[in-house]
Amino acid sequence: MYMLLLCWRYLRTRYIALASIVSVMLGVATMIVVNAVMAGFADKMRDRLHGILSDVVVEGTSFDGFPYANEVMALIRSVGGDRVEALAATVDTPGIMSFQYGSQTITKPVQIIGVDPASRAAVGQFAQYLVGERGEPRPPSFEVDPTLRELNSHAAKLIHESDPDAETLAILQQHAQQEVPDHGAIPGYATVTHHPPGATEDIFLAPTGSRIILTFPSTGQAIEPRRDSFTVVSFFKSGMSEYDASFVFVPLERLQYLRGMGNGHEGRVNAIQIKTRPGTDLDRLALDLSRALWDRWPRGFSVQTWEQKQGPLLSAVALEQSILNILLFFIIAVAGFGILAIFSMIVVEKTRDIGILRALGASTRGVRAIFLGYGLSLGLVGSGVGMIGGLLFVAHINAIEAALSRLLGRKVFDDTIYYFNEIPVLVDPKTVALIVGAALLIAVGASVWPAHRAARLHPVRALRYE
Amino acid sequence: MTPHLACVDLVKGYRKGKVQVPVLQGVDFEAARGEYVAVMGASGSGKSTLLHVLGLLDDPDRGRILLEGRPIDRLPDRRRDELRNRIFGFIFQSYHLLPELTALENVLTPLMIRYGVIAYKLRRKRLVHQARLLLDRVGLGHRCNHKPSELSGGEMQRAAIARALAGQPSILLADEPTGNLDAATGQAVLDLLRDLNREEGLTMIMVTHDAQVAAQADRVVRLTEGRIVECLTEVP
Repeated sequence: MYMLLLCWRYLRTRYIALASIVSVMLGVATMIVVNAVMAGFADKMRDRLHGILSDVVVEGTSFDGFPYANEVMALIRSVGGDRVEALAATVDTPGIMSFQYGSQTITKPVQIIGVDPASRAAVGQFAQYLVGERGEPRPPSFEVDPTLRELNSHAAKLIHESDPDAETLAILQQHAQQEVPDHGAIPGYATVTHHPPGATEDIFLAPTGSRIILTFPSTGQAIEPRRDSFTVVSFFKSGMSEYDASFVFVPLERLQYLRGMGNGHEGRVNAIQIKTRPGTDLDRLALDLSRALWDRWPRGFSVQTWEQKQGPLLSAVALEQSILNILLFFIIAVAGFGILAIFSMIVVEKTRDIGILRALGASTRGVRAIFLGYGLSLGLVGSGVGMIGGLLFVAHINAIEAALSRLLGRKVFDDTIYYFNEIPVLVDPKTVALIVGAALLIAVGASVWPAHRAARLHPVRALRYE
Repeated sequence: MTPHLACVDLVKGYRKGKVQVPVLQGVDFEAARGEYVAVMGASGSGKSTLLHVLGLLDDPDRGRILLEGRPIDRLPDRRRDELRNRIFGFIFQSYHLLPELTALENVLTPLMIRYGVIAYKLRRKRLVHQARLLLDRVGLGHRCNHKPSELSGGEMQRAAIARALAGQPSILLADEPTGNLDAATGQAVLDLLRDLNREEGLTMIMVTHDAQVAAQADRVVRLTEGRIVECLTEVP
């Protein structure tokens, strides 16, 4: 009982000890904030990664893709059963995109992906990421609108305005088609825009209706360059700069035709994207599929879940988070040494009291318990206040960011880098508990040695201590 | 009759650097139950050491300490803690109250040490009542909730006496209880101790260097060069 009473009194009267736990408090608060923000980012990133990738991807091991796409899809359906909700075949190839911007020709390496927009939209959040120039949502379609053609082609405008005879019409139509090709393309937002530093708006290098030329390899052993023109109909803006700066979507059948891969599901494709029903064990499904495919076409396919496909990126984020945690944990460890120093001082200061307690019959265990309990209660106060402070900071992080930005006169969190309009946070109760628990452990750990010294003081020497 | 507390051939020395300083060099002493004994001696003669060894705060190098004829000097730590808590009451020259606690809490400390949290909570009302009575008895009933820093020297010593009595000990060990007090206050404290000895039948061993103070005891022994060299018995 006397231990509790003395702990409580010491806690309330020794302000110097409270000072020592400020660092525990700051450490706990910082760790909670950093973990919440990093988890928020990771979560958003996973969300986006998963939005772009379908749940499970079956890929052919050859660059030329695999034939019998129909058969593969049938096998997937029969193996997956009701776990499979939708399928979409895709063709993808590295390539080069070039377009005219003023008098300048801009050329960029890109990843060209042939999709059937409607079925691709069914297996992921593809459709949600399609935007127009003003950020307005666009339908998943490659169709080139006649009004778009009139706006961007002089020939088309002439046809519309001057009602030409058949011969002129044919020539004008050919011109119009050259200026604004029939096939639409959806380039990644960052492939065709430029963001000047300090600007609030992006500059469109290839706005909707402009013509882009894509060059890519053919299939077969003697690979040749193939080239075609497409019209920009909308933009792909997922928020993942890696994708937004490299993807260009084009119609599946057009790409198959150009690369010499046949036609649609009868022809060759590179991958089949699978959307599963909610609650499906993806790893299990991937394993089932890869076994079934192996039995039928050994070595022909690789089956991966979206998480496996993005493994390196996801584990890089996890690694970053754990390294940051280790570094931040040093703050609390340093705080532990502060507690150790101040506790040693308090034990010296309380030497006589320890002698008195021993004279009154207190055991060495009792004396040790006073100081361990004191350490624990300091830890509780420090980590408790730190936890509340950290959680409050996390809850108001965007308001704090806005205030800081105003104060410093520049944006602290540049949303153009991440495309997040606010800082994402995710508080994991388990992480918070772990941080608070570790801080408590350090506070108690740091008081073990001083408590042990206090307990080992000789009662007479303690009583005589001046 | 078996003495209440006795020691036989008690030897105790201290190590100062590399030199062994002998303090007690074969002390034989006994106190009967209810006796009030004063131990006199010059400073450095080992009076306090004798008191500490008798009260199990320190170990003798040699010799025995007997409580009602039973040796208590080689008991395990737990038993010694318990004896200090239940049998002995200590009073010190500089009071030694815990500065963070009020007078009442200081008096309750031996009882808090004796009982665990739950046992104490269950008895709390009764124990607090007892402690208040004790403070009343020493004339501090109105100072229960004052911290030591708010009490005068005499009041602090009286609170310390109340604390020594709280555990209902049978032996009071007082180390120069009036050493820090002026004559009048010191006398009041001595009167209180005298009354306690008479009314409660407490065995009292008081260490002092002041002959006037010692004269108030039933018996005076003198400690010189580590031995008891002189015994004076006075009948009050």
